[in-house]
Amino acid sequence: MVTNIKATEDKNVSIKREAEEKRELCFKDEKCIGCGICEQICPLEAIELGPVGAIVRGEVDASKISIDENKCVLCGMCSVVCPVEALDLIIDGKQIKEIEEYPKLIRSITPEYDYCVYCGACDTVCPQDAIKVMRQLPERAKLVTGEIEVDKDKCISCGMCEDMCPAEAIYLVKNIPTSSNFEIASDIVVDKDKCVYCGICKRICPEDAIKVVCKVCPYGEYEIEEAEVKGDLILNEDLCVNCGWCQETCPKDVFVVEKPFEGELIIDQEACQGCKTCIEVCPCNVLSFPKPSEPGEIADKLYKDEKYCIYCGACQNVCPVSAIEVKRSGMNITPIKSKAWQKAVESLKETLHKPKTKAESGGK
Amino acid sequence: MSVELVIYPELCHGCGNCVVACPVNASKSTEIAGGKGPQEDVGQILMVEDGAIKIKELKDCNNCATCIKACPVNAIAMEDVE
Amino acid sequence: MPKHILSGLNYLAAITLRREGYLQKDIAKWLGMDRSTVSHYINGRNISLDSIETAETISKFCPHDFLQMTNVLTKDTGKTRIIVKTLMKRKFNPKIKDSCIGCGLCVDTCLMKAAELNNLKAQIDSNWCCGCRMCESRCPTNSIEILEV
Repeated sequence: MVTNIKATEDKNVSIKREAEEKRELCFKDEKCIGCGICEQICPLEAIELGPVGAIVRGEVDASKISIDENKCVLCGMCSVVCPVEALDLIIDGKQIKEIEEYPKLIRSITPEYDYCVYCGACDTVCPQDAIKVMRQLPERAKLVTGEIEVDKDKCISCGMCEDMCPAEAIYLVKNIPTSSNFEIASDIVVDKDKCVYCGICKRICPEDAIKVVCKVCPYGEYEIEEAEVKGDLILNEDLCVNCGWCQETCPKDVFVVEKPFEGELIIDQEACQGCKTCIEVCPCNVLSFPKPSEPGEIADKLYKDEKYCIYCGACQNVCPVSAIEVKRSGMNITPIKSKAWQKAVESLKETLHKPKTKAESGGK
Repeated sequence: MSVELVIYPELCHGCGNCVVACPVNASKSTEIAGGKGPQEDVGQILMVEDGAIKIKELKDCNNCATCIKACPVNAIAMEDVE
Repeated sequence: MPKHILSGLNYLAAITLRREGYLQKDIAKWLGMDRSTVSHYINGRNISLDSIETAETISKFCPHDFLQMTNVLTKDTGKTRIIVKTLMKRKFNPKIKDSCIGCGLCVDTCLMKAAELNNLKAQIDSNWCCGCRMCESRCPTNSIEILEV
């Protein structure tokens, strides 16, 4: 009889069946966001979502889902609907996303690299650290032109120019006075790579020892080459959850993001007790504790920024007091011919199951 | 993987932080939500009795680990029960 | 004895296939025999009547037992397929319900290689289905129904 073979490596799981075809389901825990969509769609109830809240908070060291190899038949439904490709069914060495017959969840991030000015906003906001911006700025000295001269005979080493210089371009070489050499500085130095010829040193100098001319002011910028900022925008699509933070934040419209699901996120402010589990679990930084905008105002307990929500349902599953409801109204998926698959995918639009409390599952 | 709340009363100082932090406790009693230790049984998960923490009603626990975060002395943990 | 039963099955399959008009050399190839042996069988130089009788009885068992027994004797699913298809007198019409999820367990289970997947739904070739119902019993969604024609 054909049976499944399970292999576990760290928190990753692989379930294999080898006969007429070779099928292998691979689960990668580091990609998993603990949303439970796999558990919801599995036609054989072979997948069980773990205590995701406690796992994400570092209080339990376990895999976010467990798969019963005696129940799993390697149909691939979980793999198709997983919004982060943490589950992957491979048939005869080919991932099912490469096999035409299988439906595919449509989600994407398309950067227009040419538009990027390397401002770094996306890098700052991305909740999954999927974007890195690295830039090389031009040398400051090439963007200014002028002359500066210090008359060292007049200089009394007072250091006011050093204190005032906004570019840290002028400094005294300090000397500890002794009976034989009572100078408090041995030299005064101008770093021409840093100086922008602003003239503050000249204006503050009590002895008129500094002369500065900025050539840009009287003659214009014709002598200055254009400032060229080079850089790299590095996107790791494996980490991207298509939340849309980059798209919303980018001032240059570099990113176009397609989300896998549509829906509605409903928070019951009365029921919420502010335990913060949902905030820590949400892969998209949608949820936060609001601050009152003025003293005395009573703010909501939980704030949502729904434009970043992918309706994965992770928050609803971990909420211990059922204060969150995720209503999935649309699935962005390629056409499906099989009736059973249509029905299964359609079922994800029904109200998400509430995680069973111990009372409901028989108090075990 | 089936985990369950486990307490170590010998480590507990009886501060009651976990009792008021627990969102399920808070949802069951406005007194607890307001930060006051409950005097009577309202079906709360955790309660301080005789100066140490006790589990009263485990069935409603949803493993969110908020109590563990609130405990200053590691007297609460979540452990595998299989 | 098992060897003799296998000879009986090979004999029955060989003469049936010849009667259906297949060439001796193809029959020899399919059943994994010498052409001379096939020729002996066809020309009436029989093996023992007991063996033929036993083989005939086995071929009338319920399809599941006939298939399994043949497979144990041949130790070769290719030969099993030919013998069972040739000697199976009953006809079956497999029906796949819409509840099929396309898990492929039937494909992996079917010794007759009658099952395949098409657009995430099983398809069973009635020409090859021997009615053993192994797929029906393995199907996790009870989506297969094998009806005798």
